[in-house]
Amino acid sequence: MTAIDTAIRATAADIELIGVTKAYDAKTTVIPPINVALRPGEFTVVLGPSGCGKSTLLQMIAGLERVSGGKIVIGGREVQDLEPKHRGCAMVFQNYALYPHMTVAENMAYSLKVAGVSKADRAQRVGVVAKMVGLADFLPRKPGQLSGGQRQRVAIGRAIIREPGVLLFDEPLSNLDAQLRHDMRVELADLHRRIGATSVFVTHDQVEAMTLADRILILNKGLIEQFDTPKAIYHHPASVFVAKFIGAPPMNILAVTGDGSALRLADGQVVANYADKGSFQLGIRPEDIAVNAGGSIKAEIRYREDLGSHEILETNIADQNLRITMPFGAEIDTEQTLSLSFPRARLHLFDSETGRAIHNAFDDAKTAPTFVKEYQ
Amino acid sequence: MSSESSLFGHCWLPLLLVAPLMLLIVLFFYVPVFQAFYWSFFLEQPFGGGSEFVGLQNFARVLSDPEFWMAGWRTIVFMLTASTLAVAVPLMLAIAADRKIGLSYAARNILVWPKGIAGAAIGVVFAFIFNPFVGLMAPLNALFPGLWNPGMDGTDAFVTLVAAHVWSGIPFNFVILLAGLRSIPPTMYQAAAMDGASPWRRIADVQLPLIMPQLFLTFVLEFTESITSVFALIDTMTGGGPGGSTTLLVYKIYIDGFRGFDLSGASTQTAILMVFVLLLAACQFVFLGRRINYER
Repeated sequence: MTAIDTAIRATAADIELIGVTKAYDAKTTVIPPINVALRPGEFTVVLGPSGCGKSTLLQMIAGLERVSGGKIVIGGREVQDLEPKHRGCAMVFQNYALYPHMTVAENMAYSLKVAGVSKADRAQRVGVVAKMVGLADFLPRKPGQLSGGQRQRVAIGRAIIREPGVLLFDEPLSNLDAQLRHDMRVELADLHRRIGATSVFVTHDQVEAMTLADRILILNKGLIEQFDTPKAIYHHPASVFVAKFIGAPPMNILAVTGDGSALRLADGQVVANYADKGSFQLGIRPEDIAVNAGGSIKAEIRYREDLGSHEILETNIADQNLRITMPFGAEIDTEQTLSLSFPRARLHLFDSETGRAIHNAFDDAKTAPTFVKEYQ
Repeated sequence: MSSESSLFGHCWLPLLLVAPLMLLIVLFFYVPVFQAFYWSFFLEQPFGGGSEFVGLQNFARVLSDPEFWMAGWRTIVFMLTASTLAVAVPLMLAIAADRKIGLSYAARNILVWPKGIAGAAIGVVFAFIFNPFVGLMAPLNALFPGLWNPGMDGTDAFVTLVAAHVWSGIPFNFVILLAGLRSIPPTMYQAAAMDGASPWRRIADVQLPLIMPQLFLTFVLEFTESITSVFALIDTMTGGGPGGSTTLLVYKIYIDGFRGFDLSGASTQTAILMVFVLLLAACQFVFLGRRINYER
C-alpha cells in the first residue's frame, strides 16, 4: 500500500472566502456576505438543512456558480473569476454524474484526456486510482453495470485522479443505503488521510458531519451559525439552532425565566441557580438528565420508546416536551412521576431573543475556554 | 400493472379495435407492395387486359437501362447530402436552443411550425425563393449573369431540391434532438466542466454521445424519407429537370408508370427501391443500432 500512498498525493491548498455573497436578484439573497478560512488539508463539513445555501456555497468554490460579490482565494490565488478547470478543484456529485457512455477507466481518465496527458500515463494513473478506490477489476465496465456504491467509487476516483488541491463533495452519500453509507464514510475518511487534499463536504446528515469533519461549518439561511470541531459543536453549541440540529435525539430546549437567583419553568419549578434576570432558553441533552437520583424537578411520562440499546422517554414538564435517554435495563414505571436533576455542568443557556449561547453561564469557576466563536 | 387478460376479457375485442387501422394499412400499404412485386414478374398491358409472365425479364431490362442507374446514383447522392444536412442543421439549432441563448424560447416554437406544411407547398415556395430572376439569388445574378439558374443548370436545381428538403426536415428532427438534449442531467455538464472540458468539447464528448439514440432515430427516418418523400418537391419544383438532373428514382418510377404507361418497368423499379430501403434500414440497425448506449 505504501507505493499507492505516494502515488496519489495532493498538495493541499487553503481556501479563503472573503465577503463571498450570492444573490439571484435584489430580493433573493441566498448567501449574505460570508467570511471563512479553511486550512490546507482540513476536512470541513458544511452542514445545514435543505435550502440553507450549502450547495450554492460549494458550487461557488468549484466555479459552477458565479459569486455575486466577494473573493474566493484558493492556495493564495484569487479564483472567483476563473473557469472551474483553473481552480484546482475536483468534485464528487450527489447523483454521481458519471458519463454513461464511457467505461469506468474512461470516466476516471477523462480529465487527464482533456488535459492532454498521454495514453500510457493515463492508463498508469487509472490503475493506481482504481486500486485506491477498490475498482481494479471493474475498469472495462460501463457505469450502468455497477452498483450504487461502485458508481460512487468511480466518482471519487475521477475526482482524485488529477491530485487536486481541493476536493469538493456535494452530498455524495445521500443516494446510498444506510449500511453502504457507513462503509463509504469510513473509506472516505481513510482516503482523505491518504490523499491529504483540503476537503469540503456538503451534507444535511449530522452523523456524516460528526464522523468525517475536522471542523463543521453549520449554515442556516446562508448565515454561519457555528464553525468549530465536532466536539466543540456538540458540547458547546453556539445557538439554539445548532443545539437542535446536532445530536439524536436533539437537545431539549426549555423556556425559563430568571428571577435574580434561579431559573424557573412556567410552573415555578426551579431548574438551576442563576444570577441574571430575564427570559432565557435552557438546553440540556436527553442523555445528560439524571433520573430518580434525588432530583427535585418533576416530569410526567407521556410515551416510552424502547430502542433495544436504550430507551427514550417523552415526558411533560411545565407543558413543554422533555426527552430523556435512559440506558438499557433502567427500571421505570410509566405511571410514576419522575424526579429529575439537571447536572449544572451539562446545562446550556441561550438568549431567548437571538438564540445565541451565553458562554460559561454555569461555569462557576470561570476557567473553561470560550469555544464558541462569533461570525458576522 | 395487471395482466393483459384482466384488462381485455375477450380476446377478439382488441382485434376488433385495431381492425379499422389494420384494414387501412393492408389496403393501402401491403396490397400495393405485393402488387408491385407481383407485377415485376409480368408484362402488364398499359390499359388493363391480359398480362404475361416473363420471369426476370423486367429486371434484366431495367438493370441494363443507363437511365435507371443514373436515377439510382442521384438518389444515393441526394440521400447522403440531404439527410445528413437535414440532421446536422436541426442538431446545431437544437444545441443552440438547449444552451438557452437569446431568443431560444421563441426559436423553439417557430422552428416547429414548418412541420405542418405539405411537401408540395414547400416546393412551390422554394421554387419561388430560388427563382433566378425574382428570388434570393437575383441580386447575385445581376452582378454575375448566369451564376444561378436552376432552370438551366442541373447542379443548381439539385441544390435547390436539397435546400427545400433540409428545410422541411428541420421541425421534426429539431424536436427529437432537442428532447434528447433536454434529458441530459445538468450535473453531467458540471462534471465535464470540473474535468476541464470546454463547451465545444462537451458537445463532442458528452452531448453527442448521450443523444445517440435520437441521432440514430433521425438518421434512419431521414434516409428513408429522403428517398420517398422527395417526390412532392421534385414534382412542384423541377419536374425532374433540367435534362433529368433531378430525376431521382422515385420520380422516374412515377414518370415511367404514369406518363410512359410502362407499368411492369415501374413496378420492377419500385420493387428494387423497396428492397434497397429495407436493406439500408437493416444495415443501420445491424451496424449502428447495436452500438448505441440507451442507458442514461
